[in-house]
Amino acid sequence: MSGMIEQSKAGAEFAVEEAEGVERIALWEIASVVTSCLLAEWVVLSFAGGSKLVGAAPVVLALGFMLYSHRERGETAKDVGFRLDNFFAACRLLLLPTATVIVLVIAVAWFTRHSLVIAPWRNRFLLLPLWALFQQYALNGFINRRAQLALGKGMKSVLVVALIFSLLHFPNLLLAVLTFVGGLIWAAVYQRQPNLFALALSHSVSSFALALTVSPTLLNSLRVGFKYFG
Amino acid sequence: MKIPSARLVHLLIGKSIIETLVVGGLAVFTFINVLPPYFHGWGEVTATGISGWAVNSASPWERVEVQLFVDGKFVADAIANQPRPDVLAAGWAKDQWHGYTFRLSPQNPRYHEARVYVLHDSGGGTRKSLQLLGNPIPFFVDEDGKIVNIPSK
Repeated sequence: MSGMIEQSKAGAEFAVEEAEGVERIALWEIASVVTSCLLAEWVVLSFAGGSKLVGAAPVVLALGFMLYSHRERGETAKDVGFRLDNFFAACRLLLLPTATVIVLVIAVAWFTRHSLVIAPWRNRFLLLPLWALFQQYALNGFINRRAQLALGKGMKSVLVVALIFSLLHFPNLLLAVLTFVGGLIWAAVYQRQPNLFALALSHSVSSFALALTVSPTLLNSLRVGFKYFG
Repeated sequence: MKIPSARLVHLLIGKSIIETLVVGGLAVFTFINVLPPYFHGWGEVTATGISGWAVNSASPWERVEVQLFVDGKFVADAIANQPRPDVLAAGWAKDQWHGYTFRLSPQNPRYHEARVYVLHDSGGGTRKSLQLLGNPIPFFVDEDGKIVNIPSK
């Protein structure tokens, strides 16, 4: 009898250790991906300048790692959020906060310029939805999911995701504040309805509103990292 | 969700090592590009200012641009293209046209320090760096405004 108790005690201890190990690995995964992003923004750009090949190295490493991690953990594309079944449900959750952000952005543009000037169209805006989808995949499809593993679903993990998103937009302070707010909204919505297409749509629309209405000098043309300075 | 295997941890360690190597490699590459080890030269105090020579051993025919700083402040720039047969004779250059001379404007009577730097472009002209030629050059200006050489340690 006492042998069985000892055995079950040891089993419980092993399970606790395993759970702690899973949490630690999840946090390590987040740190690793964030490090790659910071390297791309700050180190590679300052050292390698315009070399796109070198600049892509940390991004490719991070992307490869994230894909491998999904495979290791048995996550499918649908689990991660590449799905359409909950697209409208996610859009419904995002509609009000996105509309509020757009109204606020237009209000900021109005008060800083005393007029609503629409910036000229640039062809690179066409890539914005793809860029937004990629960012949302890294932020929510990966970081949010690992934050939930380490810290559980809820405010703690949402806050971590928003703080990371904001950190990656430093030293552009206005953008850091805006991305913190955006990060909170998108992370919270993702935890309820994991749909990356809906998040990318909200992200693209908000970014369009920012790029087209707010003065480029106020946002330093949305530059972040080392590029912010030149 | 499946519990990840040890391979994921190995991959995390491997990724960190690769990133460290990439950053280290970039740092070395950038250092060699920005502050290349192929500039040679010297400067000394003369009665009227600072004279010396500068050679780019990777491009021996190039006339190097040099800048003079006194007490940490920019004073003047010049192209090192004056005759210095002694530099050619010593085998530092392929021709003699690597000398420079800076005339010093009147300085306060006290100790000063001059530094001559090579101006170097890298990254297709996006980066400019200053590389010290030789050693800092200490000198003294007396009450009459005369420049007196102080032998370097």
